[in-house]
Amino acid sequence: MDEEPERAKRWEGGYERTWEVLKEDESGSLKATVEEILYQSKRKRVIESHGQVRLGMMRHLFVVIDCSRSMEDQDLKPNRLTSTLKLPVCDIMHIQCKVICFVSPSGNPKKHIAALKKAVDTVCVGEPSLYNSLNLAIQTLKHMPGHTSREILIILSSLTTCDPANIYEMTKVNIMYMLLTFLICSTDNLSCSLNVRVSIIGLSAEVRVCTVLTRETGGSYHVILDESHFKELLTLHVKPPPTSSSSECSLIRMGQYRLENCDFTLVGLSLGGYFCPQCHSNYTELPVECKVCGLTLVSAPHLARSFHHLFPLEAFIESPVEELQGNGFCQACQGELKDKSIFTCPSCRSVFCVECDLFIHDSLHCCPCCIHSQTAS
Amino acid sequence: MASEDEVNLLVIVVDVNPIWWGQQAQREPQFTLSKCLDAVMVMGNSHMAMTRTNRLAVIASHCQDSHFLYPSKSWRTGDSGGDDASSSGDGKYELLAVANNLIAEEIRNVMSRTEVRGNSTDTLLAGSLAKALCYVNRVSKDLEVGQEIKSRILVIKAAEDCARQYMNFMNVIFAAQKQNILIDACVLDSESGLLQQACDITGGLYLKIPQRVALAQYLLWVFLPDSEQRSQLVLPPPAHVDYRAACFCHRNLIEIGYVCSVCLSIFCNFSPICTTCETAFKIQLPQMVKPKKKKLKQTM
Repeated sequence: MDEEPERAKRWEGGYERTWEVLKEDESGSLKATVEEILYQSKRKRVIESHGQVRLGMMRHLFVVIDCSRSMEDQDLKPNRLTSTLKLPVCDIMHIQCKVICFVSPSGNPKKHIAALKKAVDTVCVGEPSLYNSLNLAIQTLKHMPGHTSREILIILSSLTTCDPANIYEMTKVNIMYMLLTFLICSTDNLSCSLNVRVSIIGLSAEVRVCTVLTRETGGSYHVILDESHFKELLTLHVKPPPTSSSSECSLIRMGQYRLENCDFTLVGLSLGGYFCPQCHSNYTELPVECKVCGLTLVSAPHLARSFHHLFPLEAFIESPVEELQGNGFCQACQGELKDKSIFTCPSCRSVFCVECDLFIHDSLHCCPCCIHSQTAS
Repeated sequence: MASEDEVNLLVIVVDVNPIWWGQQAQREPQFTLSKCLDAVMVMGNSHMAMTRTNRLAVIASHCQDSHFLYPSKSWRTGDSGGDDASSSGDGKYELLAVANNLIAEEIRNVMSRTEVRGNSTDTLLAGSLAKALCYVNRVSKDLEVGQEIKSRILVIKAAEDCARQYMNFMNVIFAAQKQNILIDACVLDSESGLLQQACDITGGLYLKIPQRVALAQYLLWVFLPDSEQRSQLVLPPPAHVDYRAACFCHRNLIEIGYVCSVCLSIFCNFSPICTTCETAFKIQLPQMVKPKKKKLKQTM
């Protein structure tokens, strides 16, 4: 079949002595070690920069959430389904494996968030079907234009999948083998002609079918350890992935809308709406593709929201606080520097505390002091 | 009525561009920078007097740098300035007296110390907003257990927008939106497209003041109530925001344009190569339609 290098499984290695991490100091307290662990967990997110790699900025992402019986397990509080639906996802399309609830593709996050909230009450029964959900996603994704990246993210909690397998004769062939080859045929289909990238987040344990699927299509497969790990894995998918070389680059015609007040609209009842500049049809939400003339309608903030992926902020240099000369104040928040290390911006050499460093890299995406020196020059 | 557990933080960012204020002093001598700061102090005192748990911060936004007028570092390290203020003798609440004196002293330091270099005449508003956001982030992390914080930023803008700050401004706006921080804007002179977008995206109020002399009245009427109380008041209607973007080649505002799918730069005309990222685009050729052979009707 396929020979890939087998990773050593965790139970094959020796025992890991995790209790040796904790060390007591002279007075017998663990305070210093605990603070160190908390500090390390704050800095755990490694800021990788891919360098000069083209990123796939326009993405069509399908999120498939498993709603089978295993989602009612209570190992994630209150149960797996509620825990999954609470986590942040943005700009997504939504399919449920077993339930016939389908939200039509749109770029507006509010609709998806509302659909997710409604889905909390779904009853989880039955078995999931990987083949059916992939099929459904591919049918929509294959019509998407070539310059966008096509991705599927599956959140799978069960260890089995129940698929229509009516292709092979029922001879002495093992059902699992048959399923596997069938899926591999469909992944060949996926990766060669359609360039769809499938990533899976497993909630239970590693399943070989998923490993093969993600490896063939170039996605990533992770199994969660706990809730915070789950959140981290989802956040990893928010960053745009590097594009493959076969994707096309094109110039997309887009229009900015004109906002006017009007007396009524046919779609929903609201005052005012957005008018397409080419054909004057009215829409209540953005971004949207005009159904009359085919023009994509966006507003400038939608594009500006992704600019920080294109111009990423460099990581700050960490140094111990004793090396600091001068006054001990963080230049962003004016707080005292009482952590054990300070962070220096490589371009403007200003000093920041741990909290500001995290905030700047997660939310702000620009150094507050570099802004002052840039525009002043 | 806000409970004891809710901290309401107001950060006022004042534009102290010396060039604009210098010209203003000659245009209209009854409204100068000191009158503007008097109005800001009235607003700050009123905010702190509303509830005991309300907090205030004031930032002065200059052409060279942004400075925190209140709270200032020297006050926190126990300077002797606090002792003089407490004996003001007119029965004023001590915190308000201290705040006023600090603001007055700091702005005097800022204006006398900072010099204007010839080529930088624009106010560094994006930088001041970024520092304000970092301050709000620190205060929200330093709270005691069980306290919640609601914060907003009020920008008092004098000079014109600087187009070079567009990207940093948008980053700041999205960060504020993510943290649920409102940005209100009180504009003294010319309309500001960037601040209109900021107020629209974060849910704040934008107002261009018709009469600058009455600044204190406008501040107390429109910007003092917090977001929950605003729904029950009749406030100025939202401004019409111009969301058109400027094309990268000519800097004209366009309605329909072309966007590169790799670097998201905007152009007004189609060109085969993107000037920002130098990608060659695939040109959609019109499809060849094969002529269909028409079946001849059998006429017989």
